[in-house]
Amino acid sequence: MNVRRFSLALVFLPLLASAAASKPASSPQPRTGENSVVRVNSTNQSYDFFRPWMKKSPFTRRGLGAVIEGGRVLVTAELVGNHSYVELEKARSAEKAPAVVERVDYECNLAVLKPVDPAFLKELVPLELDSGAKVGDRASVLQVEPNGDIAETPGTLTSITIGAYPGDGMGLLIFRLSAPLQQRDGSFTLPAMRDGRLLGLLMRYDARSQVAEIIPPPVIRHFLKEHAKPVYGGFARAGLGFASTRDPQLRRYLGLQEPGGVYVTDILSDSSAEKSGLKKGDVILSVDGKPIDQDGNYDDPEFGRIPFSHLTNTVAHPGDTVVFRVLREGKTLDLPVKLEVRDRSKMLSEPFVMDRAPRYINLGGLVFLELSRPYLQEWGGSWPKEAPQRLVYYDTFQNEIPRERGKIVFLSQVLPSPDTIGYEQLENIVVKRVNGRDIRSLDDLAEAVKTPVDGFHRIEFEEDPYLIFLDAGSVERNSKALQEQYALPALQRL
Amino acid sequence: MFRVLLCGLTLAAWSIVEAAPVARSLVRIEATSQEPNYRTPWNPGEVGGGVGAGFVISGNRILTNAHVVSNARFLTVSKENDPKPYPARVLHIAHDCDLALLTVEDPGFFKGTQALEFGGIPEIESTVSVYGYPIGGSRLSVTRGIVSRIDFQPYSHSGMDSHLTIQIDAAINPGNSGGPVLQDGKVVGVAFQGYSGDVAQNVGYMIPTPVVLRFLKDVEDGTYDRYVDLAISYDSLVNPAARSALGLPDDDTGVLVGSVFGGGSSEGKVLTGDVLLAIDGLPVASDGTIEMDGKSVALAEVVERKFKGDTVKLKILRDRKPVDLEITLDQPWPFTLHANAYDEKPRFVVFGGLVFQPVDENFFSAFQPDDMRLRYVFDFFVEDRLYIDRPEIVVLSSVLADPINAYASEFRFSIVDEINGKKIRRLDDVAEAFAQPADYYVIRMLGSGRPIVLERKAVEEARERILTRYGVRREQNLTK
Repeated sequence: MNVRRFSLALVFLPLLASAAASKPASSPQPRTGENSVVRVNSTNQSYDFFRPWMKKSPFTRRGLGAVIEGGRVLVTAELVGNHSYVELEKARSAEKAPAVVERVDYECNLAVLKPVDPAFLKELVPLELDSGAKVGDRASVLQVEPNGDIAETPGTLTSITIGAYPGDGMGLLIFRLSAPLQQRDGSFTLPAMRDGRLLGLLMRYDARSQVAEIIPPPVIRHFLKEHAKPVYGGFARAGLGFASTRDPQLRRYLGLQEPGGVYVTDILSDSSAEKSGLKKGDVILSVDGKPIDQDGNYDDPEFGRIPFSHLTNTVAHPGDTVVFRVLREGKTLDLPVKLEVRDRSKMLSEPFVMDRAPRYINLGGLVFLELSRPYLQEWGGSWPKEAPQRLVYYDTFQNEIPRERGKIVFLSQVLPSPDTIGYEQLENIVVKRVNGRDIRSLDDLAEAVKTPVDGFHRIEFEEDPYLIFLDAGSVERNSKALQEQYALPALQRL
Repeated sequence: MFRVLLCGLTLAAWSIVEAAPVARSLVRIEATSQEPNYRTPWNPGEVGGGVGAGFVISGNRILTNAHVVSNARFLTVSKENDPKPYPARVLHIAHDCDLALLTVEDPGFFKGTQALEFGGIPEIESTVSVYGYPIGGSRLSVTRGIVSRIDFQPYSHSGMDSHLTIQIDAAINPGNSGGPVLQDGKVVGVAFQGYSGDVAQNVGYMIPTPVVLRFLKDVEDGTYDRYVDLAISYDSLVNPAARSALGLPDDDTGVLVGSVFGGGSSEGKVLTGDVLLAIDGLPVASDGTIEMDGKSVALAEVVERKFKGDTVKLKILRDRKPVDLEITLDQPWPFTLHANAYDEKPRFVVFGGLVFQPVDENFFSAFQPDDMRLRYVFDFFVEDRLYIDRPEIVVLSSVLADPINAYASEFRFSIVDEINGKKIRRLDDVAEAFAQPADYYVIRMLGSGRPIVLERKAVEEARERILTRYGVRREQNLTK
């Protein structure tokens, strides 16, 4: 939220397997990562949000994981997203072994794998995490040749910045590496190395500009530290949005004397920022004692000028307190902000739903879902224009909708049945009330249908047609036939 | 998908045609129009032209399509046997049903012309003839076809009105617009729109006489009052459970009222969840049709034939009890936001190089903004009753770049919510807010974001500079 949304012009990582990759001249110096990387093949299967009782067809992603201490392998979360089966494969010998996903965090796009048989990684040497990398440093990206050799492509670290991560667009530290990578099979994670240490994992590559985006050591270190805790916390968010104060007219109007400061434009409800008393219109002058410039950057001793969200989400851990110094109505205030992780399950529309099945209720052929972004994404890349606009509105502007609204339950589609005659055309309409009960989740709906009114389910919508009825007895009697007719494994999943 | 049938200005001379009987009634209309550019609303707009057809009716009047003479600055009409163009003017124009009435000041014009008379609705499969000046030549053209379908169809000129329409299989091409469609010597329709060949073949549409006669009757009092509407939505009631839950017998009558649009004729009288059983004594079938003149038509046809101030009687079942209502019909204003507008000047306010404009269909097609919030507010303006808080959606439409507004471009297409604490409900509010003396003008946009701050002194200094640099001829226009 504290980072302006990124245009995803960059190609999401896969350097797709195309025709045979041309063979680059092998470099003479010793290959630093050869004994520390392992192929990872992940067979993934996501749910079909249009038919939430079904999984889509499985597909395989391949990548190159970095072996780290503890007999584990570090990969991107994308590689193993919605995994059904994960295996490790030794590059040279093609020896394979099944692995389990010990931890996956889609916000930071990282996952830790462990072979079922710990002996599998025995001869491999765990990598250490790099530190102290600077813009201009040389680094390299590791890939596997078809013959199992490790190819190393040299590159230069060109920028260190905060960028949107694929999961839900959270802004975390990114290293950009300029490197002419070859198209090779299995590139869903590629380790980047500097002086024999792990510089990070490549998560995106734009073939035209030859720029690779790398998950850098601070994010990996934070992730592993959280993973080592008894309870995984993850990455906290202050939960605020801000705008630059570059405009001198705005600065004079605000009475801003200091050279820096950013204007708070949004406070997410129930967020760390809201609980600490930060308000819209405050000007943030410093965070944790570090002055904030007009664009929201601070001077990091290691990485230079980067947005202050790095302090709140990566340097600090959930539960830590960071002091925000703000200017409010001409007065300077110090507000301690206790940082918390956002509870996605409480969001009006979850930004992603991974490794679990979507909830649904099928009532007599009417399929009800809770709104989530993956549902909207079923409309394809231009879903903000193509998907039903009321649902897009709820998803996009969910921060402005009062928490009490709960989840958006909607009628997704109708499987025609004797009970749905006349309703066949209904789709994507938001439910308001059922049998007199306000609907704020599918659980509410499940409760409401237990008490039909005069033998009918009375279903009210926020929009046309506003009101429909089902015969409760008939729905009950026909449920088995409905399930058989459409070969449905179940009529609900809560 | 629909195209409007107006052909580009042709300069070819035409020679005298042997007088077919209809030739004495037919006129060729040449229109010079000026369409405003909403991106530079201070400019008068580009001049263009086109050719259409029309025909003489009683009272020395010429009937044609509204789209033939929309935004016209200069009009001439010519008769089949007389090469002289006569200047004409618009008497009445109805954009919601794409019809217009013209007259010619020169009394000599109507000498020798014959006013055409109107017939009824032709039978399906019967033959009709279409007259006009379509593309492919400059002289009168006649095509023949059969009546394929009689139905409600959208009228593409306004883009949001639907009326009774007759589909024929005669070729109707640009330049046929406004021409009469005849059967047995009487006008049974006015040719007005079709599909382009790559969408469908041999599909032409004409405006049938009920729509034409309604227009002629509406203007009898000297003004056109537009169509009226019940301003409700309804859904079919064929589901047995719904019928029985609402206390309806199994007799296939009644529709369920969904939306009752605010500002419309039915607001406060008809309620969401009412069952509409009959309209003006005609029983409503459960699919929303009624029997009228022996034909099954949409229930809206009853209202289609009425005028502003007329009443309609509704029989309703509410909470299982019958209710009789009488609705006085009017035109609900929020709907016009989504109609193409013609013969209007764009409204705007320029201040400190920031251009503010109200959003309507013309604005949307000129700018095609992607802003998600603006799209929501525009699309759901009527349905979600957003017009109650905001009768006009005023946005920052462009930034005429200058040092004083160097940081404002990110707010393009944001909706203006407040200026110096004053709520902006219309464009006039913007003009008023900027007319108040203040050291700072603080402009807040709907949703989040920082305010745009303009210092009065800076705005005054920059004023001439910006106007000159961008050729802004006037700083505001508040009237249509």
